Amino acid sequence: MLGKLMKYEWRGLRFPIFIMMGILGAATLLTCLIILTIDPKLDNVASGFSFLSLMLSIMLYYFGVIGCTLGTMLVVAIRFYKTTYTDQGYLTHTLPVESKTLLAAKTIVSVICHLMMLTCVVVTILIIIGVGVYHIGNVSEYWDAHYWHRIFTEGFSELSESFREEYGISLGGFVAFYLVFLIISSISGIMTVLGCISLGQLYAKHRILGAIIAYFVVIGVQQFISYLAMMPTYSRMLRAEALSETMPMFEVISPTMIITLLWSVAVSVIMHLINLHMMTKRLNLE
Amino acid sequence: MNEQYMNAAPLLQINDLCKRYPNMGSYMSVFHMNLTIPRGRIIGLLGPNGCGKTTLIKMINGLLAPTSGSVYINGMFPGAESKRVISYLPERTYLDNGMKVAQMIDYFADFYENFSKEKAYSMLESLGISPEARLKTLSKGTKEKVQLILVMSRDAQLYILDEPIAGVDPAARDYILRTIITNYNPNSTIILSTHLISDIESVLDDVIFMKNGSLMLHTSVDAIRSQHNKSVDAYFREVYAC
Repeated sequence: MLGKLMKYEWRGLRFPIFIMMGILGAATLLTCLIILTIDPKLDNVASGFSFLSLMLSIMLYYFGVIGCTLGTMLVVAIRFYKTTYTDQGYLTHTLPVESKTLLAAKTIVSVICHLMMLTCVVVTILIIIGVGVYHIGNVSEYWDAHYWHRIFTEGFSELSESFREEYGISLGGFVAFYLVFLIISSISGIMTVLGCISLGQLYAKHRILGAIIAYFVVIGVQQFISYLAMMPTYSRMLRAEALSETMPMFEVISPTMIITLLWSVAVSVIMHLINLHMMTKRLNLE
Repeated sequence: MNEQYMNAAPLLQINDLCKRYPNMGSYMSVFHMNLTIPRGRIIGLLGPNGCGKTTLIKMINGLLAPTSGSVYINGMFPGAESKRVISYLPERTYLDNGMKVAQMIDYFADFYENFSKEKAYSMLESLGISPEARLKTLSKGTKEKVQLILVMSRDAQLYILDEPIAGVDPAARDYILRTIITNYNPNSTIILSTHLISDIESVLDDVIFMKNGSLMLHTSVDAIRSQHNKSVDAYFREVYAC
């Protein structure tokens, strides 16, 4: 049943998600085209105009990214609210499936949509950087197989080595750690949104307002916890400064990242339990 | 659960059921309700507006958590298993407007093992509803008909139909009642909630009268006719006279 539920959940979400991906793609294309119009050999005045148009296009792209990531959250939230707590909830809750299966399907597909959008953002950033480096950095002048082979072998190992010296962790290790961090943060973010929609149902007369208030309260608490999580980092930085020690960056920030990671896992579990409780013991469809 | 036990247990058993909504103070929408529903009956759930019919139906379907008391369907609490045997038509449109009628049929066929696609397409054809029509393009009355088709195309043990004939024209009303009767399996039970008693009286075996959230009367239509020498409609008007 989980597979079937996920299939229909995906069908309900895919159209707006693809539209937002299209918008992001268009913003990336526009930014790349503007980068390609810049002539790196122009005089100062013309370069100034080029720089201005580049900044404007990057701003446009930036707003596109913010719009698409927030839009994904909004689409997921609206879909969850509509199919769980409005008229469509009558169909959802009379399907012969357990509430936990229902919730799992909605959560998994929502997280997949969010991760897809984040992947698109990362890919488009890499495309823009690639186009910028290639065009403005005049890479085309060195364009041969030998050059790229050197970049991807020697350059990468040099980068990895200097990264290890600077941050105290290999580049691969950092990327893997950050990917896990990103995925868990994404799950936690989605589950917070879904959990707050369920919490909003406690305000029988103002369910949407209740959900918004619940969201801001939960985010406020999360910010406070994040602030507390920064304490070990601050304390290590101060100690290192007092003792005139140099400490690798990852060693300084890793406690904060680990606390934040554990907190995200805790939030996900709490929100899942809230959702499950609201969908079973406190279900109150009007 | 073993089949022998399921058949021995009453189809629906309600014990001391109460429901108080959080925003309605101490008022009980359903008040200490006890009810046993056997198999093979067509039952009219009758009562004035606000007497608790829809609240009761929602609790049977697991859409509302009771304040106290319990509901058993085939001896089980409302849950995934009970939802397999109940086919519920709510008083509102619950279909996804973005879907086509055929997609909705696939949806029901995917989730309900006892759903018959052939039956659904045959009913759609007799009502002249295109399976390719998108639900948002259909009128409210047509959507209600589609919903009824979906619900009645299941081979369920308990059909719960909340106001199935409200808001449709008299010709459609006749069709709906015919649909209910012709698709009804004699081993299953239908609970029909409505205000339009005279329209459904001829198909009913039993009636349940509710007042202020409580069970007032649960008897057979024949008993009302023989003991009070009145139709159910006339008796209802007498009981609930303002």
